[in-house]
Amino acid sequence: MKQTMKTLVGSRWTWMMLCVVMAWNAVTVSAAPPAPPSDIQVKDYPLDDGTAVKVIFKRSPDDTGAEETNFTGYSIRTSSEVNGFFKEALEVKKAADATEAAEVVDARVTGLKEGEPVFVRVYAVGADDETSTPIQTAESITPVMAWFDFHQIRLLILVIVICSAVILFIELARRGYPMTVRKVAGLEAIDEAVGRATEMGKKNLFIPGVQDINDIQTVAGINILARISRTVADFDSEIEVPTCRSLVMTAASETIEGAFLAAGRPDAFDPKSIYYVTDEQFGYVAYVTGWMVREKPAACFYFGAFFAESLILAETGNSVGAIQIAGTAQPSQLPFFVAACDYTLIGEEMFAASAYLSGAPEELGSLKGQDMGKVVAAACILFGCFLAFISPDLMKLIFEETAL
Amino acid sequence: MSHNQSSHSHITHKALDLDKINVILATDCGSTTTKAILIEKIDGHYRQTHRGEAPTTVEKPVADVTVGVTNAVTEVGELAGRKFVDDNGEIIRPANGNVGCDIYISTSSAGGGLQMLVAGVVKEMSAASATRAALGAGAIVMETLSSNDKRKPYEQIQRIRELRPDMILLAGGTDGGTKKHVVGLAEIIAPAKPLPRFGSEYRMPVIYAGNKEAAELVQDVFKDEVELKIVENVRPVMESEYLSPARDSIHDLFLEHVMAHAPGYDKLISWADAPIMPTPGAVGDILKMIADRDQINAVGVDIGGATTDVFSVFDGVFNRTVSANLGMSYSISNVCTEATMAKVLRWVHFDMDERELRNRVKNKMIRPTTIPQTREALVFEQAVSREALRLAYQQHKEFATTLKGVQQQRTVGDVFSQQTGGNTIVNNMTLNLLVASGGVLSHAPNMNQTSMMLIDAFEPEGFTTLAKDSIFMMPHLGVLASVHPQAALEVFEKDCLIYLGTCVAVKGLTKLGEVAMRYTVRGKGLDLNGSMNGGELKLIPLWEGETATVLVEPTGRLDVGAGPGRPLEKEVRGGTTGLIFDARSRPLLLPDDRLQGQKMIKQWVETMELYPN
Repeated sequence: MKQTMKTLVGSRWTWMMLCVVMAWNAVTVSAAPPAPPSDIQVKDYPLDDGTAVKVIFKRSPDDTGAEETNFTGYSIRTSSEVNGFFKEALEVKKAADATEAAEVVDARVTGLKEGEPVFVRVYAVGADDETSTPIQTAESITPVMAWFDFHQIRLLILVIVICSAVILFIELARRGYPMTVRKVAGLEAIDEAVGRATEMGKKNLFIPGVQDINDIQTVAGINILARISRTVADFDSEIEVPTCRSLVMTAASETIEGAFLAAGRPDAFDPKSIYYVTDEQFGYVAYVTGWMVREKPAACFYFGAFFAESLILAETGNSVGAIQIAGTAQPSQLPFFVAACDYTLIGEEMFAASAYLSGAPEELGSLKGQDMGKVVAAACILFGCFLAFISPDLMKLIFEETAL
Repeated sequence: MSHNQSSHSHITHKALDLDKINVILATDCGSTTTKAILIEKIDGHYRQTHRGEAPTTVEKPVADVTVGVTNAVTEVGELAGRKFVDDNGEIIRPANGNVGCDIYISTSSAGGGLQMLVAGVVKEMSAASATRAALGAGAIVMETLSSNDKRKPYEQIQRIRELRPDMILLAGGTDGGTKKHVVGLAEIIAPAKPLPRFGSEYRMPVIYAGNKEAAELVQDVFKDEVELKIVENVRPVMESEYLSPARDSIHDLFLEHVMAHAPGYDKLISWADAPIMPTPGAVGDILKMIADRDQINAVGVDIGGATTDVFSVFDGVFNRTVSANLGMSYSISNVCTEATMAKVLRWVHFDMDERELRNRVKNKMIRPTTIPQTREALVFEQAVSREALRLAYQQHKEFATTLKGVQQQRTVGDVFSQQTGGNTIVNNMTLNLLVASGGVLSHAPNMNQTSMMLIDAFEPEGFTTLAKDSIFMMPHLGVLASVHPQAALEVFEKDCLIYLGTCVAVKGLTKLGEVAMRYTVRGKGLDLNGSMNGGELKLIPLWEGETATVLVEPTGRLDVGAGPGRPLEKEVRGGTTGLIFDARSRPLLLPDDRLQGQKMIKQWVETMELYPN
């Protein structure tokens, strides 16, 4: 036995092994988990949409604000059960300096479900993701939706600005303040197109798109149809409206009848000139183009939602020598209309047509107010781009930290 | 685009040997005076030599237009030492020694000229074409009826019955186009039974210049109640108009029916060697002829007591408008109302009592033949004329447009620059010649005043030659042009126009105190260069018959005809005023503040030496 000990002690290998074991022990002693934080308080976050809670706790004694330390931060985890699986919801970095280290941590944990109780644990995290023992409240907390979500205040500001602008301009328009609307050639040319049809003794053709009445473009088209019909009635001309949807036919029929009545020519209204053809897109187009080639209308109006048929219709109209006015909010169809038609209303112009044509102060004021809103939105975008370019931190401060 | 609009009446001229024409006598029977001029061939060139004037005698008690003509011709004869009228009171022809003339021609606007009612299907299309035909023929359009004028048929019928036009022009529908609208208009005119102004026993002349396929139906509607004449459609297709057949018919009917029934005109027609033309029609013809010959764009204006006529030829298209309520005596009150007194007074460089001015306006209205007796009155009258001319030109620009209802050809590049049809063809930048006539312009005591009235009212841009009709000879020359074009053109060049000079103006908004353009002028005895600030005027002496080469370099976005900021060199013509550099803004802006405005105008008045002490 004595011999054996001597052998072992005297062995070089034995000394080396001993050194390794001692070094290992030293390492394991220095990577001990950080001390946990303390005094946790969890509250529902006020004035939010019910998806966040506020977590307040005292920092870990290891969180001293020193740069060279094994402590890295905190992990806030949530679970719906007290002993359930706690999933990380937020990471909080360690204090940047001693001043910050003296303060409590006040964190906002988001991504929760409104009205569902939640348990919160906080871990201090070491350099090797070693975590401290957690701290946790005894009771669960239930996030509640507040009557006003303060984080959406930017939307409130925008709504107030736009609504105020609309109200202001309507009021100004009522008081006789001149509201200038840019000349829209396509709408100005309606009289010219109907006049051409009248002189040539030909019909006017109106196509309200291939979508149903629930499409806003179809509604805008019907709105313009009212004005066209009124002009047709004034000029004692004729209008043909084949539709692709039955409800659109009904709406168009009533619109034209109303326009003829308003023009003092109810006798000239021909209900047979407004009719339903088919829901099939290309079946409808085949009928309309056939009619155009046979009847050679002198004026064609296309207002509504159009797809692949736009060029077929517009080219056919062009080939029969008609003045054509089109309007759609489908960006992909606009180039075809622009190239094949005499005048084209682009997206927004079609929606503004009602105000433009009526000239009513309320509508003009509303249009002007909406334009102001667009100006504000564009200004915000430009401002944001500018900030992002010169100082991303400043932008973050403004838009993230101040709830804007 | 219009077809050729040269007007040659279907009533043929008397057979004439142009080489043997040496003495030409021409008269213009106006509402108040009949003006006679004598044109003689001197050294192989036609020159206007003498002029005479006498009151027109259409109205009672004389009620014979030839009496006034004889008186005016006699005065010319006395001045020229020739005998034109024989013992029977008739004009002697041909010329023989100191007796008689080779041809006698005349125009007439007596008794209010030719007054017409025009009807068409769409106001801005066939009705507008018909109006252009009527105005081009020298008529005054009393009313334009159309299917879309928003009046009920009974209102239209009532309006026709209220009017007593000399003739009616009915148009509408392209060839093969609408019939129901044209027939509908005929069905409104026929029962209204319009009565002609002169001669209760003759039938109303109606010219039909619409859809040829509807002519028979229109004839059925009118039956024998009117004197219907069917001519070619003024708008055979939407893409063009064809006005000359309608214009020729208007001239024919003017002679056959209207003039033939006016007092003494039957005798006057028998005297004349060429059809008598309405005065404005003749003025338009000579202006068009000059513009066509020299390939220029020209504008002519005749400002009268009751009306202002504006004629223009741009790119070969002739247009004429009559502003019926803009004039310097009968209509002066209307000018002040339409323009507002503040706008009139902005041209006056000293304080004026507005109340006193209103009295002055009313006095002029009730005593139309009075002329200004004081400097203040003259300045005020010229201020009114600026506004009358400005408004008349504005109306002209709105009327002289491209055709409406024409199919457009687009490319994707046009997406943000779409323009409707019916845009004005009047472009001041391409205007080459601006001709003035009418009392306030022709009889201004100082030619610089005439130049400034034209520049302030018409706002020419680039290089524009200014001229005035010396003795309102253009009507005579217009009718002479239909008989002897060479004689008409020679006299027009040598005796008719008095060149005032050339105006060189920048287009765009200039800034006071900032350089607007730099110029170099080189000519006989002239070698100048300099610069002009915004709002400045400069007068450089360049007398009649002299020419100079002018190089102008506009600054920034300003333009003198070569494009924004690009220099342009041109040869300019001198005149009684000279060469005028105008660096004021286009459109011309005057300060709203009266005192500032006065200061600015005073500066211009002094620069242009308008009212020297």
